[in-house]
Amino acid sequence: MDTNILLIEDEEVIIRLLSRKLASMGYNVILAMDGQEGLEKMRESCPDLVLLDIIMPQKGGFEVLEEMKRDADLAKVPVIIISNSGQPLELERAKRLGVTDWLVKTEFDPKEVVQKIKKYL
Amino acid sequence: MSPETNLNNRNQGYPPLSLSAKDDLASEIDSLRGQIAARDMELVRLKERRDAEVRELNEVKVQLEEAKSILEIKVTAKTKELRELADTLEKQVDDRTRELRAKIEESESSRVALMNMLEDMEDLRRRAEAEKEKTLAIITNFSDGLIFFDSLDYFSLANPQIENYFSATKDDIRRCIGKKISEMSKVAAFKPLTDLMGQALRQISRKELFLSETKFFEISSLEVRSRQEKIGTLVIVHDVSREKAIERMKTEFVSIAAHQLRTPISAIKWTLRMILDGDLGPINDEQRDFLEKTYKSNERMINLINDLLNVTRIEEGRHIYNLGMENFGVVIEGLVGNYADILKQKNLNLHFAKPGQALPQVKIDPEKMRLAIANFIENAIKYTPAGGDIFMEVLVRGDEIQTSVRDTGIGIIKDQQSRIFTKYFRGSNALKTETEGTGLGLFIAKNIIETHGGKVWFASEEGKGTTFYFTVPVAK
Repeated sequence: MDTNILLIEDEEVIIRLLSRKLASMGYNVILAMDGQEGLEKMRESCPDLVLLDIIMPQKGGFEVLEEMKRDADLAKVPVIIISNSGQPLELERAKRLGVTDWLVKTEFDPKEVVQKIKKYL
Repeated sequence: MSPETNLNNRNQGYPPLSLSAKDDLASEIDSLRGQIAARDMELVRLKERRDAEVRELNEVKVQLEEAKSILEIKVTAKTKELRELADTLEKQVDDRTRELRAKIEESESSRVALMNMLEDMEDLRRRAEAEKEKTLAIITNFSDGLIFFDSLDYFSLANPQIENYFSATKDDIRRCIGKKISEMSKVAAFKPLTDLMGQALRQISRKELFLSETKFFEISSLEVRSRQEKIGTLVIVHDVSREKAIERMKTEFVSIAAHQLRTPISAIKWTLRMILDGDLGPINDEQRDFLEKTYKSNERMINLINDLLNVTRIEEGRHIYNLGMENFGVVIEGLVGNYADILKQKNLNLHFAKPGQALPQVKIDPEKMRLAIANFIENAIKYTPAGGDIFMEVLVRGDEIQTSVRDTGIGIIKDQQSRIFTKYFRGSNALKTETEGTGLGLFIAKNIIETHGGKVWFASEEGKGTTFYFTVPVAK
């Protein structure tokens, strides 16, 4: 059975690189360009794991997390944040919202992201 | 009648006498003669008696004279004595008078002094009164909320800010007066405060109390002492709502800044990494060389931004670290392992003396601690010439774990040593050796170590090398 990874990210280069890497590792990648789209696709496809950016147009990562927490079906889905930010207050807030891990993009590369995914699946 | 008188009278007045008469007369004359002789004898006796009396009188006179002269002497002496006595008395009177006058003067000045003292006291009282009013005015108008408990821990007074901050009524305050803090919780308005402070008064330093977005307070409680004696406890309620709002805004700002700065470089990093890993097709050696160099430059840029972000956080004074129980040995060994490649490249020998015993647990933010330790190791690598040695040692000292990183590098110039932990400072010899660097590494490392309750210090000799030491307290 395919493992579905939902990638919610607005930056084209990251989308292309990460989806390519994930596909090469045998994952089925579902894409969403903002938070709103991400939530819709989440309900449609029931992903095994969500890769979520924080700062995005329309609906940001925190709003997505809050909505997920309110929805019993979505609350259980593991979420890895991939963001360029990552301050203590943000990390705390994400922790409260049940996030599995927070990766700062400059500190990880696609290969390491995949390693983290493997760890949490 | 004397016999002489009788004789004279007969011769002059009487007639011539007969014979018998003559005999009579002769016998009478004889008798008279006898009488005269007797008289003479008597006269002699009388004369003798008179003489004796005169002698006696003379003696008496001499005696009197003597007595007189004695008396005179005595009188003179007595007079002298009296005069002296008088003099003495007069002197005594004078002295006494002077003394009394002095006493009067003294008492007068005492009286004046007393009056002055009374005036001073009155002045002091007035001033104390004014001071008390001033203190009350200060307490009343103080921007912080203040509650004062007396020496027996009974609620004594609260300023109007307290009513304002806790939306308490005057009646609420009145209900608290004379009560202990444990009873204050019965007044609903103060329940959040008493929940935070506990059932008994104790020293509290800047504990946060969140009531609402616009009511964020810092509570401190301290014993007030006057001349070593406890006179009460002051609870200070400081409004930090504004600071909290600014802090939130700052976090948002730094978040955006970090995002803006990191977005392009993370895209570069990921792209280069995937090309270098061959994910995007094969590349030739020259291309690989260029891309690897670009990748390294990009990593430097990432570190620079991280340093700047870390400084911003440190300067915000926010040290909300993700503290957890960690095995210090695992943290440090994992970190040292990361440097194997670069050590080989620079031909440096890192000698890591692991502790003989298992290290006790520490309560740290592992990510921040790695960042701090990495700064010491990277400095050692950066400033030690090729072929040199680096020595690391970890040992347990009492309730601390002490780590040292000793390099055999350029050292720190003596008169620059005091500035080594200053933000943006770089040693002049370091600048010549390694042009790149922000001068933030040690500043950040020191802040991280100290926030964990540890200490940082170093010993260095120019041209010989530097040893950095730091401690981390063992978790209790």
